[in-house]
Amino acid sequence: MAEDTATEDPGAPVRFMPQLIGLDYTIKTNPVAAAFGAALADGRITGHRCPSCQRVYAPPKGFCPICVVPTGEADLVEVADRGLVTSWTVLTPIQYAGQKEREDYALASILLDGADGTIGQQRLVDVPLDEIRMGLRVEAVWAPPDERVADDRGYGLGSAVSGWRPTGEPDAPPSAYQEHTL
Amino acid sequence: MPSDTDTTFTMELMYRRSLGPVVGAFLTGLRDQRLLASRTAEGRVICPALEYDPDSGDAVDDLVEVGPGGVVTGWTWVPEPLRKHPSDRPFAWALVQLDGADTALVHALAADGPDAVRTGMRVVPRWADERTGHITDIACFVPEEG
Repeated sequence: MAEDTATEDPGAPVRFMPQLIGLDYTIKTNPVAAAFGAALADGRITGHRCPSCQRVYAPPKGFCPICVVPTGEADLVEVADRGLVTSWTVLTPIQYAGQKEREDYALASILLDGADGTIGQQRLVDVPLDEIRMGLRVEAVWAPPDERVADDRGYGLGSAVSGWRPTGEPDAPPSAYQEHTL
Repeated sequence: MPSDTDTTFTMELMYRRSLGPVVGAFLTGLRDQRLLASRTAEGRVICPALEYDPDSGDAVDDLVEVGPGGVVTGWTWVPEPLRKHPSDRPFAWALVQLDGADTALVHALAADGPDAVRTGMRVVPRWADERTGHITDIACFVPEEG
């Protein structure tokens, strides 16, 4: 819109008008998500262990989605800030307003040590795109403490972890991730 | 941050509205510090300018100048302005019927307080320093001096 008006004669008739449609809203974070966010601010990733099936969910949801059993503080467990890549996608950015990415990048599902489910949409860093593979061992690159903003509902890591980089450990064997591939 | 239980979000979309000859002329007028209104076939003067006669639906393309002063026909006080309001100080949303117009337009009215506003008071526009062809080219209305 700025281009159109800038190139026009300042005395020319006004033909277009920028109009801002906006909505401010507030989300009440549930206590489980708030506790997860507090742990992230502390540099820790936590989950809940289902008292019925013993699976560990990170981030915790406050219930086991398989057994539909409530979970709470008593079920809190800490999971590692490292794990392995179970699947990934290389994205090629197409430029649009607000798009910050310029180069191809990879998002992965990561199975954290101590968790039974993967976390998705995780940025892989410090690894050439053609060297990404299932079983690649990675660790969290934590953002500086004052930049760790939890996401709105506690279902992701927000900005607490800026990416995941290879640890240099040997790859995990297929048996470690065969139930978690897409 | 995580100790907070509330998170505030803002979702915004900026789009470009194509104005057409009548609304475009109205906003061109604002940019040039002129207040334009539509005059219907019956002679009703409508400001802000409309492309049609609200009574008959007929197209209206006769534009006349009104104002710049006018009369407050209704108002409400805004004690706590929000981010998107045109003022960061308490103000009134006012219906201003410009001299020569038969309808009122809504705009911000700067006043010292609700006690300084009354229906029937005379007001004049305070023009924005930088005008781009937008309703905000009128920064606000202010009480007429004297």
